[in-house]
Amino acid sequence: MSPAHAAELEIDSAMTLNQVKVGCDAQIRLLSGPGCDRLRDLGFCEQLQVRKIAGGRNLICSICGTRMAISRELAEQVLVSPLA
Amino acid sequence: MTHASDTTSTIALIGNPNAGKTTLFNALTGANQRVGNYAGVTVAVKSGETFTPHGRKLRVLDLPGCYSLRANSPDEKVALDALSGLLPGEPKPDLVVCVVDASNLERHLQLTLQVIELGLPCVLALNMVDVAEGMGLRLDPTKLAEELGIPVVPMQANAKRGIVELKQALRFPLPVASEATWANPAEDPETARRDFVTQLCELAARRPNAHQQTLSDKIDSILLHPIYGWLSLISVFFSLFWAIFSFAQIPMGWIEAGQSALGSWVESLMAAGDLRSLIIDGMIGGVGGVVTFLPQIALLFFFIGLLESSGYMARAAYLMDGVMAKAGLSGKSFLPLFSSYACAIPGVMATRTINSAKERLVTIFIAPWMSCSARLPVYFLIVPLLLHENEGTWKQALVLFAVYALGTATAFIVARVLRGRLGEDITPGHFLLELPPYRKPQWSYIFRHVFERALSFIRKAGTLILGLSILLWALSTYPKSQSGDPADALAHSAMGRIGAIIEPVVRPLGFDGRMGTAILTSFAAREVFVSSMAVLYRVESAGGSEEVRTVLRDQLAISKWPDGRRIFTPLSLVSLLVFFIYAMQCLPTTAVVARESGSWKWAIGQFLFMTSFAYTASLMIFQVGKLIGY
Repeated sequence: MSPAHAAELEIDSAMTLNQVKVGCDAQIRLLSGPGCDRLRDLGFCEQLQVRKIAGGRNLICSICGTRMAISRELAEQVLVSPLA
Repeated sequence: MTHASDTTSTIALIGNPNAGKTTLFNALTGANQRVGNYAGVTVAVKSGETFTPHGRKLRVLDLPGCYSLRANSPDEKVALDALSGLLPGEPKPDLVVCVVDASNLERHLQLTLQVIELGLPCVLALNMVDVAEGMGLRLDPTKLAEELGIPVVPMQANAKRGIVELKQALRFPLPVASEATWANPAEDPETARRDFVTQLCELAARRPNAHQQTLSDKIDSILLHPIYGWLSLISVFFSLFWAIFSFAQIPMGWIEAGQSALGSWVESLMAAGDLRSLIIDGMIGGVGGVVTFLPQIALLFFFIGLLESSGYMARAAYLMDGVMAKAGLSGKSFLPLFSSYACAIPGVMATRTINSAKERLVTIFIAPWMSCSARLPVYFLIVPLLLHENEGTWKQALVLFAVYALGTATAFIVARVLRGRLGEDITPGHFLLELPPYRKPQWSYIFRHVFERALSFIRKAGTLILGLSILLWALSTYPKSQSGDPADALAHSAMGRIGAIIEPVVRPLGFDGRMGTAILTSFAAREVFVSSMAVLYRVESAGGSEEVRTVLRDQLAISKWPDGRRIFTPLSLVSLLVFFIYAMQCLPTTAVVARESGSWKWAIGQFLFMTSFAYTASLMIFQVGKLIGY
């Protein structure tokens, strides 16, 4: 299996930030979508850990010690893998 | 070494929102800029002066907070232009001080790297080291300086710690531009920057264990709770309005007492005549009626300052996002619209934090419909008259609440319609807001800010309103008639004649010529209406403004049309109230809207729309009411 293929598989198994349970930690795998530049400016970068604090219309998550409120549409563009 | 000492070097402060740029700016320049714990407090470039330890003068620019130099929103564009020297009248800065929040280096350093890539000499101000250390972060400024190749100054700007060290770093010769060592042509600049920042943070800012439950988290678990959060939001804003209206009564009483003492003092000094009439009726009466509202305005700005500075404003915006979405707006419109209850001018200026250009235009458009404090004198005059009661009962509070609700509801409906017509943005901007940690309010800045707003209000009262009061007095006094009857004298005066001309226009709304004239004078500033009415209905009283209102109210209650019908029926009063809720009667707001929206067309369109809306609404209420039989 080629490394590129492995990466793809990993992304397939990843979930979006919307699907993470409230109170859980996750590691950001990939940003994809029109809002990703904006998300990166705010600190949503690959490899970083994020904790979802609240869900709903907009979700709140904690990243690098800062709480950010982002819309569901933006959270949809953040692919993460949950951490135990 | 020699350098041209007549050229002052320019230093720009840049950083993410909430990094403490304005606090640092104030500490460096001794200025009293407003500081908020909310993104977008600085919406324009402010400049000031400071001195190096060797006494060399430096110009300091405070740029609006931005997350990147990609110019996503108007304030980021301003920051980028300032750094590239494209801002009219501002030279390209000789040095950039990147202000970063030490507890948040992963995010804040991105911007610093972008500035270094621009080829500008840079100094890193590592602000809020106390917060970072409190979180257990182990910072290594020396390592950071080595890796970045620029001076790094750890500091705590709100406690004035590290200011001297920063000034040492700013002394001559200024540091040279560092090289962007991370940039490599084979890699995407974004990725390169990100990898470098991650690597830097591992070296120089190690986190013990991410995600500790901080005090802010605990407070947020209540204040952002789906049920308790709303209860807290409602109680916070309800007590805010209650406090404004009840606390303000005390100083308002003092102002009125002082004013009435001044009036009788002047009366005892001077002989009866035109000059005495000018001073007492025209000047003291006219200006006094408006100055009484100073305590309420000061209190409102105090509470807004408190909410911003403590960090609650961002939570309110988060909670309100769902409500604002019903009007086609987002939570980001909440602060501008809420500020507009105090005054539409700061409200319109605060729209710069809204990323979506269309949402911003819509917010600007409806902001003047949030009943501002200048309308209060008019409401206070009309509402008791409507209910045949003295001031200050719960029924009046209810009517006042309905007045605010009507303005707000109409604004939201118009926003929704307008937002639909403008269409979607080309690049969809999504709701995105940083929730800063709760901080202790910075009292000194809040008080200075309140003081500035109060001063500018007094300045307006002393110039625009004084001038209009004198003009009105003159118009209603000259040309003089031979008759001794004051009513004849008024009909003969210039004002009486203007009133007669515009009466046909305002008659269908249930107003007489004098009210028409008073409305006409209030187009420069609404609060002038009360003093105009006092002059036009010949209220001869040197008392305080509450007394003026009481006498004026009695006078209005007995005013009759020539055929003997009462002018001020409940219906015509409601029509007048509605006119004031909707009419756009504030020259300074129109000027600010023109500047912020970048087009006079928009500002004039808004003025025409709101005025005709007000006229139509009043017309319909009066005519329909008459048909039904009120």
